Amino acid sequence: MIKFENLVKKFGDRTILKGISFEVNKGDILFILGTSGTGKSVLLKNIVGLLKPTSGKIWIDKEEVSQYSEEQYLPIRKKCGMVFQHPALFDSLNIFENVAFGLRRHYQLDESEIQKRVKECLQLVNLQGIEDKLPQDISYGMQKRVSLARTVAVGPEVLLFDEPTTGLDPVTTNAVNKLIKDLSRKLKTTSIVVSHDMHCALDIADKIIVLDKGNIIEQGTPDEIKKSQVELVVGFLEEVEHA
Amino acid sequence: MLNAIGKGIEFIGGCTLFVGEIIHSGFRGKFSTHEIAEQTWRVSMQSLSTTALAGFFVGAIMTVQFTMQIQQFGALGYLGGLSTSGTIREIGPLLIAFMLSGKVGAFTSAELGTMKVTEQLDAIRCLGSSPIREIILPRYIAIILSSFFLLTIGLFMSIGGGLLLGMFFSGINYEEYLRHIPTIVAWPSILIGLFKCLVFSIILASICTYRGYTTTGGAKGVGQAVVNTAVATMIGIVVADWVTSYISEAIQNFFLGA
Repeated sequence: MIKFENLVKKFGDRTILKGISFEVNKGDILFILGTSGTGKSVLLKNIVGLLKPTSGKIWIDKEEVSQYSEEQYLPIRKKCGMVFQHPALFDSLNIFENVAFGLRRHYQLDESEIQKRVKECLQLVNLQGIEDKLPQDISYGMQKRVSLARTVAVGPEVLLFDEPTTGLDPVTTNAVNKLIKDLSRKLKTTSIVVSHDMHCALDIADKIIVLDKGNIIEQGTPDEIKKSQVELVVGFLEEVEHA
Repeated sequence: MLNAIGKGIEFIGGCTLFVGEIIHSGFRGKFSTHEIAEQTWRVSMQSLSTTALAGFFVGAIMTVQFTMQIQQFGALGYLGGLSTSGTIREIGPLLIAFMLSGKVGAFTSAELGTMKVTEQLDAIRCLGSSPIREIILPRYIAIILSSFFLLTIGLFMSIGGGLLLGMFFSGINYEEYLRHIPTIVAWPSILIGLFKCLVFSIILASICTYRGYTTTGGAKGVGQAVVNTAVATMIGIVVADWVTSYISEAIQNFFLGA
């Protein structure tokens, strides 16, 4: 379970998150929606300690992690894998080494085990035979899937996705969304997805949160969200109807 | 003006803390010596030809300049000694370091800046490692080693450049050119030249890794980081040149009583 308690994040004079509180149950898929610049990615980065909250608390299972040091965060990062907005693959390493990167650092595995695990993870995201290629030699959509495989490889209990379909064509967007759903169900992970995609959220989320200007303006199950009268949510829903 | 001074102090403070963090990370955990060797080789090979060429022409320029000055006193026999002394102790390290700041410094800050804005450094943290230990530390050590090596090569090439121009431009033979080098260029001058090379290498490595690591704001931010690196390293090198000249002069006077 992940729980936020009155989380505030400031950058200088600007307050990005203004007291966010919510919780995600184990195994659930939570979508965080909102317009650009409302603090969605900031919220996600607070979970894995890439940013530290100005005040408030973050609970991961039974641990309160908001003031953890970089060293203390290591086991948390093994538990919570993050897929970034950019594929963030390491340019100088081939696909195999990219996927094996976290395995080599988190576990003491021998080479044959690493090879087996890398192959399994690439198969999970429907990729095969690209282990020797460099990231720049494959398409952007494939890079995104390799990034997902790299995150999944270390066996996280929580998957965090930061706008996983940004910059992708509709066909690849659907494929990645299906992948998120399948992986979350297959691996029984808790997933938090930051997105603009209400259509996908209604389709696969267990719970949806809508953020605006650093505040939660609406939250609920997809069915509850469909009945919302909040202006921004209505705007998102109209977008889905027109699509 | 006050704003610029404030930013300068903030930059020096941030850079100092960053270097402290790099050193600390080196003591705290394992780092890849293979990566250091690979980076050192890459940086050295990338800049060897240009550094050698720059060094050659620095020596040549000094010889031409000294020839014009001492010819009227009939003291061309001292050309080799004076030209080599000026090159090794002052102008050589300075000009070659400027060139390296444009090449090695700009490349490194652009590379690290791109890794930062494309979230590769954050990904390393999320995958259970430290970007300082994994990426910055090997590059920091490699830049110091390779810059020191390149500057030293550049200095030797400057002697060659000076000698060649001395023969073809000033019309003296190589024996005459070389004869006064040992009498004018004493060991302290060579050590001071090498000490400056080391200091400039550390400044270059510190500034370009810091600027790259603290890049923000996408492609524009990377461009800005590269420009800032070039400006900051050049200013840093000029200031360090003055400080090292002053300190080495004081040390030389203390020990040799000159």
